[in-house]
Amino acid sequence: MSLVPVTVLTGYLGAGKTTLLNRILTEDHGRNYAVVINEFGELGVDGDLVVDADEEVFEMNNGCICCTVRGDLIRIVNGLMKRAKKFDGIIIETTGLANPAPVAQTFFVDDGVRAKTRLDAIITVVDAKNVLDRLADSTEAAAQVAFADVIVLNKLDLVTPEELATVESRLRAINRFARIHRTTRSDVPVTDILDLGAFDLSRILDFDPDFLEVDDHGHSEGVNSVSFEVSRDIDPHKFQQWMGTLLQEKGADLLRTKGILAHPGEDRRFAFQAVHMIADGDFISPWPEGSPRRSRLVFIGRDLNRPQLRRGFEACQVSS
Amino acid sequence: MSAALATSLLETRGTANELGAYVVSAAFDRAGTQAAFALGDGTLRLATLAAPGPWSSVAAHDGAALSLAPDALPHGFISGGDDGRFVRVDAAGAITELAALGSKWVEHTASFADGRAGFLACAAGKLVHLFTAQGEKLKALEHPSTVTGIAFDARGKRLAAAHYNGASLWFVVSKTVAPRRLEWKGSHTGIAMHPAAEAVVTAMQENALHGWRLPDAHDMRMSGYPAKPESLSFTRTGKYLASSGADAVVLWPFFGGGPMGKPPLELAQMENVLCSRVACHPVDDVVAAGYLDGSVVLAEIASKRVLRVAPAGHGPVTALAWSASGSHLAFGTENGFAALVDFSRKPE
Repeated sequence: MSLVPVTVLTGYLGAGKTTLLNRILTEDHGRNYAVVINEFGELGVDGDLVVDADEEVFEMNNGCICCTVRGDLIRIVNGLMKRAKKFDGIIIETTGLANPAPVAQTFFVDDGVRAKTRLDAIITVVDAKNVLDRLADSTEAAAQVAFADVIVLNKLDLVTPEELATVESRLRAINRFARIHRTTRSDVPVTDILDLGAFDLSRILDFDPDFLEVDDHGHSEGVNSVSFEVSRDIDPHKFQQWMGTLLQEKGADLLRTKGILAHPGEDRRFAFQAVHMIADGDFISPWPEGSPRRSRLVFIGRDLNRPQLRRGFEACQVSS
Repeated sequence: MSAALATSLLETRGTANELGAYVVSAAFDRAGTQAAFALGDGTLRLATLAAPGPWSSVAAHDGAALSLAPDALPHGFISGGDDGRFVRVDAAGAITELAALGSKWVEHTASFADGRAGFLACAAGKLVHLFTAQGEKLKALEHPSTVTGIAFDARGKRLAAAHYNGASLWFVVSKTVAPRRLEWKGSHTGIAMHPAAEAVVTAMQENALHGWRLPDAHDMRMSGYPAKPESLSFTRTGKYLASSGADAVVLWPFFGGGPMGKPPLELAQMENVLCSRVACHPVDDVVAAGYLDGSVVLAEIASKRVLRVAPAGHGPVTALAWSASGSHLAFGTENGFAALVDFSRKPE
């Protein structure tokens, strides 16, 4: 049975989330979506199957301090799976102030949810006019940008080209790996934001237009993103030990971690991803013919110590 | 193995149907005349035990049915759905709407009847709505978060509700508005009441059970499950609590000081197949169990003897129930397979 794709829609109040949601639901794309909306929704949402949720976040009793999960989503997803009339995907709208981590972690932690659904992508709608203020006065806005696989940079009509450039460079500093769609009234084609497979291990790091671009954005404080590439194979034991300790100690600050690793004597690539302390990994397709076996790792988080992370990753390589 | 042993009780004593939608729950009416299956297509399928004809279909909900229980009256059932409706379906299939609760799903229903009094209850969101057996609304009980399970005690005096960070224990007819809170941090996803009201036990997100001994609210922790123990059932006297969530039926002893520090009894172990539903027999110390591969067994607790009821192959067992006398067992699966097994008559 194929897994039902789940798209998470985040963004501050007034950014254009509901407009985007209604566009998805009314556009003629021939697909049916179940939509989970929150109790503080801005406007009415029309659709075949709209579920009203209270965001009920709880902490797992597994000794992992930042492992929070949306219990309401576990119930709702399990309930939706009982329906006879099937749908092509689930879209989850979060409240403006929500941190996306508990939603993402729900899809890593709960076995029942994992058995039926897959997290497809996190979409963050950003208001070009106000986002810099929101980034300055809240931590959630940065988390929403950091978690995004797709950023819908909305309300372009309200900013000058210079302001837009400033906003984009700020978003890029936080998260260089998200695709940015520039819109005026959340008018992005549905096919550009749904069923992307952004959380699919086999597609991790597929989209990285400037992967090795030297990043000296100078944003050492707050949320930013760093990436590394090494040429020798990665010793899986060393990596596991290093990453395990790192996530344990710094997991609260590491919002997302993704990597593609070359293991010695293994043709297939090992894909790794983590949301805070919760990690997942598996072998995917082999290294493409002719392309070098270069292992890559990306961190998006707060207070990233770039030299330390690089040394740690480099030390995971097999001896030359 | 002889041919006779290879056949299952389902073949010799059962009636089965492919219903075409997820079987959410199964129940028998209190009089023991009908069985009902609640489905993901919103229907209730009614089977009359004395007449092995086709099962009737009642369009009870627009969407999926999510919960089912016997009515407090001798005949009929109550059900809740993701259409926000709480309804009563009588033996002839006539529907009476007891409550329309808007956009909230009616995820849990329960009833109580002892000949003198009767109550109906349903949970939708943070509220538990309580009704008389006649369907008159008594009150709404509010909880700090969404209610994830409800259960009456064996005398109909109290109602227990599971939610985040614990459970609430309400006196059903009391005028006091405050429940007794049983606290334990975390997400509680189901609930069971000890038949002699000695304990309340909840299922937890972290593959464990949590219990509170009554009346002193002493905590009991029961862990070690490889999966979530979604299904709980006390034996008739409350000697054992049966649970799903492992590759066997896990039974915790509730005698001689309770389950703390004791290993549970494990019955009907299956290689690498998780038990998904348990239902204790209403009279004998026998437990029925359904598994993710579709197989259903009976296990006698004293002898640990296992009797195969249905073979694997019809999808994960998602519904399992005994009739009040224990003469019939009903089960259903995620794939829409449903069956009734009659233990009262001699096999043909």
